[in-house]
Amino acid sequence: MSKISIIAGREFNERVRKKSFIFTTILMPIIFVGIMFVPALMMNIQSDEQKEILVVDQSGLIASRLEDGSGIDFTPSDKSFEELTTEERESNPFGILIIGSDVATNPSNVQLFTYESSTINIESAIADQIATIIESEKLKAYNIDDIDSILAEIDTRVSLKVKQLGESGEAQDSSSMLNIALAYIFGFLIYMFVFLYGNMVMQGVIEEKSNKVMEVMVSSVKPFELMMGKILGIASVAITQFVIWVVFILVVGGAAMNLMGVDEMMAAAGSAASMDPVAMAGAAQMPEVDDELVSLVATITNPAYLLRILGGFLIYFIGGYLLYAAMFAAVGSAVDNEKDTNNLQLPITVPLIVALFVMMSAMQDPHGQLAFWFSMIPFTSPIVMMVRLPYGVPGWELALSVGLLVVTFVAIVFLAGKIYRVGVFMYGKKPTFKELFKWMRYKY
Amino acid sequence: MKELIRVENVTKQFSGHTALDNVSLEIPRGGVYGLLGPNGAGKTTLIRIINRITAPDKGQVWFNGHPLAPEDVPNIGYLPEERGLYKTMKVGEQALYFARLKGLSRAEATARLKKWFVKFGIESWWNKKVSELSKGMAQKVQFIVTVVHEPELLIFDEPFSGFDPINANLLKQEILALKDKGATVIFSTHNMSSVEEVCDHITLINKSKNILSGSLDEIRRSHGGNIFEVDFKGSGEALREALLKAPCTLLDSAASDDEALATPNTSSLKVHIPKDEDIRSVVALINDTTSLRSFREVIPSMNDIFIRAVAGEL
Repeated sequence: MSKISIIAGREFNERVRKKSFIFTTILMPIIFVGIMFVPALMMNIQSDEQKEILVVDQSGLIASRLEDGSGIDFTPSDKSFEELTTEERESNPFGILIIGSDVATNPSNVQLFTYESSTINIESAIADQIATIIESEKLKAYNIDDIDSILAEIDTRVSLKVKQLGESGEAQDSSSMLNIALAYIFGFLIYMFVFLYGNMVMQGVIEEKSNKVMEVMVSSVKPFELMMGKILGIASVAITQFVIWVVFILVVGGAAMNLMGVDEMMAAAGSAASMDPVAMAGAAQMPEVDDELVSLVATITNPAYLLRILGGFLIYFIGGYLLYAAMFAAVGSAVDNEKDTNNLQLPITVPLIVALFVMMSAMQDPHGQLAFWFSMIPFTSPIVMMVRLPYGVPGWELALSVGLLVVTFVAIVFLAGKIYRVGVFMYGKKPTFKELFKWMRYKY
Repeated sequence: MKELIRVENVTKQFSGHTALDNVSLEIPRGGVYGLLGPNGAGKTTLIRIINRITAPDKGQVWFNGHPLAPEDVPNIGYLPEERGLYKTMKVGEQALYFARLKGLSRAEATARLKKWFVKFGIESWWNKKVSELSKGMAQKVQFIVTVVHEPELLIFDEPFSGFDPINANLLKQEILALKDKGATVIFSTHNMSSVEEVCDHITLINKSKNILSGSLDEIRRSHGGNIFEVDFKGSGEALREALLKAPCTLLDSAASDDEALATPNTSSLKVHIPKDEDIRSVVALINDTTSLRSFREVIPSMNDIFIRAVAGEL
C-alpha cells in the first residue's frame, strides 16, 4: 500500500469517527429537509383550525354570499357592532367584520376588528371575497345574459412551457425555476465545501506542525506525500459526507413527498419524461396536477440531466477543492498558529468570494460575458460553472474549463508542495509572501 | 568502507548567523556516536541535514559511500528532541500508523510493536489516548516508534530528558542492545555522564565548529594532562623530598586534599610528569622511598573535557 493511501486512510478514519462529523452529517440533511417541508406541513396543520368571524353587513349585499373556507367561518349577525362588543359573547369569535352600507360604491368602507392579531392570509382572503362579490354585482348591473358562462369562458390561465433548443435542434424541457434553485444550491455547496474542507486541511497541517509530528514523520515519508495524503483523505471525507447527504435527502424527501400525496404527480412526471405524446396528453388532462410541477419533476428525474449536474458537481468539487486545499496546506505549513494565517489566506478567500459574487450575477445571465470568463478562470470556475451547468453549457467550454482547472491544480499542488516542504520545518517566523515565493525556489 | 556517514565541509547559514561552519566528521559503522556541544552549537542543524530536513549551503554528506539521497532516509530512525505525536489518537493505533509508514506490513508491525510494548511494560496503554500520557510515557512510545523498523542508522536527540533514572537506564540498555545488533547510533546530548557510559566515538561542536572528534577513550587519555596519582605506604614527607629531585611537579593542593581522605595505612598524592620525561625513573624513585601501592594516570571526565574545550582551554 502506498504511503499516500496510508496517510489518507488515517485522515479519513480520524475525521469520520469524530463526533462533530457524525453530528453535522446527520443534522444537515434534517435541517435541509426541514426547511423544505416544515412550512408546507405547518400550513396543512393550520388550515384545520377554523376562525369564526362575525359579519355585520349594513349593505345587505355581502354577508349571505361570503363562503367559508381557508380556515374562516363567516357568521352573519343581526346585532350592531356596539351590541357585539359590549354584550356577553356566546361563542369565542376571532373577530368582527363591519361592512359599510355604501360598500358597492365605496369599497374601502370595510373594517375588521380582531381579538387576536390578524394575519395577511385572513385579510387577503376576506378582501378577495368581498372584491369578487362587488365585481359580480357591478357586472350584473350591465344586464348581460349568460354572464356566468361568459365569465367562465373568459377566465384564462397561462402556463408557460419552456423548452430549450439543443445544438442539433431538438427540444429539451427546461424549467428556469428549477435551474435557478439547482444552480444556487450546487454553486453555494461548492463554495461551502471548498472553504470548510480546505480549512480543515490547513488546521490539520498546523496541528501536525505544532505537535512536531512532522519531525518524526520526515524519516519515513516525503513531505509531499504527507501533504497529498492529507488533502486526499479529507477529500474522501467530504465526498462521503456528500453521498450520505444525497442518499438521505432522496430517502427522506421521497418519504415526505409520499406523505404529502405527490406520488401520483411522480407517476405523471415519469410518463412525461418518457416523452410519449399520448402519456403527455394524459398527464395534462389529469386533474389538479400542475403542468409546471410535472415538467419540474420530469426534469429532475431525467437521468441525463441528473448526471450532468451531479457529475459536474463531483468534477468541479474535486478540482476546486484540490486547487484550494493545496493553497490552504501551503498557508498552514508556513505559520506556527492559526492566528498568523489571516494575511496569507487572502489569495484564497478573495477569489472564492469573487466567485460567489459572479455566481449571483451569472444566475441572471448564465451565458453572458462575465459568466463565461469566470467559468474559465480555474480559481472561480468550480463555483461559476456550477451555476451555468443546469442551463446547458457547450461541450468545448466545459472541456476547456475542466482542462484549465486540471492544469492549474497540478501547478498549484507542485508549488504548494515546495512551500510546504520548507514551511513545515520553519518555526518562529511569521513569513511574508516574499518569503513564500523564495521557498518555492528552494532546492532539496 | 569503515564509515557509515561522512560529513564533508558542511556549512549552513540562516539569516544572520552561521549554524554550521565547515564541519567535517566521520561516523563509523556500528557503535554509538556522541554528538556533543552546548545549547545552540549547531548539533540539531547537523542532525537535520543528515535527515535531509534541510540542505547544507556548502559541503556534502555521504551515506554508505554515496551522496546522501532521499532513498536513504527510510534507513534512518530519528527521535527528535521535541516529541511529536497526534494527541487525540490512541497509542496503539498511532504506533501502528507510524510503523506502517516505515514500510512494515500491518501484521508485522503489530507483532513487533506488541513485543516492544511488553518489553517496556506498557501493554496496557495500547488503547489509551496520547493526551492521557505523561511526558515520559509519551517518550517511551516515541522511542518504540523510532526503532520499530530496525533502521541502519538511529538518531537520538536528547533521549533521556524527561526520564526518571530507572527508565533512563532501561532506555540506555535498549540503545546498547540495538548497537549490539549492528545499528549505528548517533546520540546528541549535553548529559556527559551518559556519554561516558554509552558512546564509543564523539564529536564536540561549539560555536558551529567541530572542535574535537575521535574515539572516546583516546580523547580522554590524550587530554589527561599527564597527571598521575600515587598511593603508597610510608612517610609522605620523605617521598615529597625525594620527588623534588625527580623530573616531575608535585600538585600540592590535590595532594593535601587526598591525604585527608586517605586511609590511615596508605597515603596518596598527585604528580605531573611532563610528556617527554621518563615515567619509569619517577616510579623507581617512589618505589625506593616508600612502599608503592598503586600508580595510575588520572583520566579526566568527559564533563571536564567538555567544559575546558568549550572554554577554549584545550
